[in-house]
Amino acid sequence: MAADSPQPPAVAVENLTKVFKAGLGKAAFTAVRDLSLTVQPGEVYGLIGPNGCGKSTTMKAILGLVIPTHGRTAIFGRSSTLVESRREVGFLPENPYFYKHLNGLETLLFYGRLCNMKAAELKDRAREMLALTGLEDAADRRVSGYSKGMLQRLGLAQALLHQPRLIVLDEPTAGVDPAGSRKIRDLILSFKSQGITVLVTSHLLEQMQEVCDRVGIMAHGQMVRQGRVDELIAVENETELVLADASPELLAEIRALVESKGQGAKVVRSGHPRTTLEKLFLEVADQ
Amino acid sequence: MKRPLQALAVLLGLGIAKLPLEQACTQHLRQAKLLSAPLALGLRENLSQMGFAASLGGLRSLVASITYLQAYHEWENVNWAKVDSLLQLTTSLQPGYANYWDDASWQMAYNAASHYLYDEKLQPLVRGKLYEEHVRRGIAILKEGLRYLPDEARLWNSLAEIYERRSHQPELAAEAYLQVHRLSQNNRYWRFAAYQLAQSAKPELWQRAYTMLRESYQSPKQRTPSLIDTIKKLEAKLNIPFPQRIPDTTPLMQIPATEAGPTR
Amino acid sequence: MHSSFSPSRIWTLAMATVTQLLRMKIMAFLLVFCVIVVAAGFAFPVMNPEQQLKLLKDVSFGALQLFSIVMAVCATALLLPRDLEDRTLYTILAKPVPRHEYLLGKLLGVLVLIGAGLILMDLAFSGVLWLRQSLVLAQSVNALQQEGTATPEAIAQLQAFVGKQGLTWNLHLGVAAIFFKAAVVTALTLMISCFASSTLFTIVISFLVTLIGHGQGLIREYFLTGHAGAVKKGLSALLAIITPDMGAFDIVDNVINGQAVTLTAFGFMATTAGTYLLGYAVVSHLLFVEKEL
Repeated sequence: MAADSPQPPAVAVENLTKVFKAGLGKAAFTAVRDLSLTVQPGEVYGLIGPNGCGKSTTMKAILGLVIPTHGRTAIFGRSSTLVESRREVGFLPENPYFYKHLNGLETLLFYGRLCNMKAAELKDRAREMLALTGLEDAADRRVSGYSKGMLQRLGLAQALLHQPRLIVLDEPTAGVDPAGSRKIRDLILSFKSQGITVLVTSHLLEQMQEVCDRVGIMAHGQMVRQGRVDELIAVENETELVLADASPELLAEIRALVESKGQGAKVVRSGHPRTTLEKLFLEVADQ
Repeated sequence: MKRPLQALAVLLGLGIAKLPLEQACTQHLRQAKLLSAPLALGLRENLSQMGFAASLGGLRSLVASITYLQAYHEWENVNWAKVDSLLQLTTSLQPGYANYWDDASWQMAYNAASHYLYDEKLQPLVRGKLYEEHVRRGIAILKEGLRYLPDEARLWNSLAEIYERRSHQPELAAEAYLQVHRLSQNNRYWRFAAYQLAQSAKPELWQRAYTMLRESYQSPKQRTPSLIDTIKKLEAKLNIPFPQRIPDTTPLMQIPATEAGPTR
Repeated sequence: MHSSFSPSRIWTLAMATVTQLLRMKIMAFLLVFCVIVVAAGFAFPVMNPEQQLKLLKDVSFGALQLFSIVMAVCATALLLPRDLEDRTLYTILAKPVPRHEYLLGKLLGVLVLIGAGLILMDLAFSGVLWLRQSLVLAQSVNALQQEGTATPEAIAQLQAFVGKQGLTWNLHLGVAAIFFKAAVVTALTLMISCFASSTLFTIVISFLVTLIGHGQGLIREYFLTGHAGAVKKGLSALLAIITPDMGAFDIVDNVINGQAVTLTAFGFMATTAGTYLLGYAVVSHLLFVEKEL
């Protein structure tokens, strides 16, 4: 490959339309309509929207689990219909389940073998992934006894096992408690620092805001808005100023200053900023 | 919609292509006597639906075993008609299994026939008639079995024994024993056949019996008491000149005392 | 270049299928089988020895057939829906695993399980039969001795007779025929489950086709040689084409009776089973390759 040839996007979705045929006498259902998106290598892209808006169908199309009715999807330039396209992708489905009779380590070994990993390398890598996702102690326990959060982490370990360049996460924090959710968020941020591309869906906007470089907002099977997170959420004509240990006198002075020299600027609100419930829970849980 | 149509096309193509293979396979397995011929239609009416489904599904042997057990149960109940019909069902399910024919005829020609013969509630004339009928039924069963298994020595032997002991038809018994001899190459049955011919009412058969027995006499191993005794009787009946007769002092083969044992 | 056929991946999937099915308490069935065999071997002492051995063989082979067919239909019918329900299918197919490998892995897994089950049951049954036949022989020799007719020839004859009714290599070929039939039913069920909408549907249709398949020989011969109207002929042709001839593997009845399985006969059955297996696998692939998950 020539050094100067442009790198293909990690994920390319072009004019994707997916219509599910229904049984006799029922109308067909259009899950996704003319959707296009591109995820560049190294980016964290969030696909957000309410339940049933077509996020999961889009992901399945990217992973080749459903065949597009129109349009095409590709991973690192390879069409999703090719098995090769899945060599560099790790997938964590929503609420993953694994073979209940296997333990954590055996589950990873199973998926590793499916990726044709060599036995010695696989064993080390599986241990490493269990450590990374904090499941070392549960490695010898049957998966049937895992909590929802543990299953989610095992799912992540499984997705990362073969060192993919792209990770696709479907609702990674659904049903997980805030501590687990925070852990997953931290993992996503660490992927980013390692240069791994992440495509993540969620309906929890706050979390997405923390990790994503860019987001796309879907509704009714269509892309409604798309762009950089800071651009999308910035309120351009407001400025926030947070002070600690400010005396009432100082606050009154600031107010007066704004009124006298503000040139049209005005104080919209003031008061004590509230901590988020999520932050509070984490603080209490850590003590 | 393209793929399902392709799937259907492959399925139909396979279905057509496999027909000659299936036909050849069935033919070969039938010739090798590994597959039985399909069940006769009339038989299906006798079997319960479950039994029919099971016998269709390769469990014919098992169903036959069950009807055989039922026949045994009816034997304990002394229900001869039921014994007969259940064993008939059993033999039709597995006509290639000699034991079933043997048992079915034994039940009729021996058990049922004797039961009627000694049933004091019946008129003497009726008893004799029922005895004969059941012996005939036993013979008929064996003859039917021999249509499927013409080379089964065991069935020929049972038939010979019934002719000999139950219906007293020595010529027919002799013929059957000769079949046993032909199939088993055991000389004992050659002698048995000759003994039967010797008992015939027809003098022309005595000579044949005598020739056969003298042939056996050649081998010292075969000189059993019955052989010597029968030869001597025949020599008297046929007026064989003394010089040609066997010597009186022929050493007898040492044999156990049982009359009907294998060293007759 | 990514290999689209990896025996090691298929084997991994097959072994996962085996352990998955083993967790469904299949060993219990083997235990029940052993009880049935022992009961059949010793429960009816009043009958003549030959019939006792036959009954033992009949019941054991009946149980073997039942086990293999029920396993082939029920275990196979459960596989795809369960993986889909648990979403394990997503994680598997999101790996670089071609769909046909997934199907082959499942098929192989069920076949390995049925094969291993049949071998175990065959061993148990052979043990009981051998024991029973030794007992029968000892009893008969004993009876001969009491009659005073226990000559070496008589004993040898008895041994040969009981030996023919007892344990022979031929019986294991009968077990192989049972395996062939079960393999066809497995492939058939997998094919049906590739388009069926529910597990129950798969099970019912598979059993139905299997049952019709046992009469397919009659239907086929009616179509090939019978004299009937066009409608009847067309219907019988259709049935003969879409169902497999399960009866072509029903040699156990005669194997029990001592009929020898020739190499050609074995080859014919293996070829027939192989043809169905290949054909149904191709159809399954066509149905599954673009299935919406």
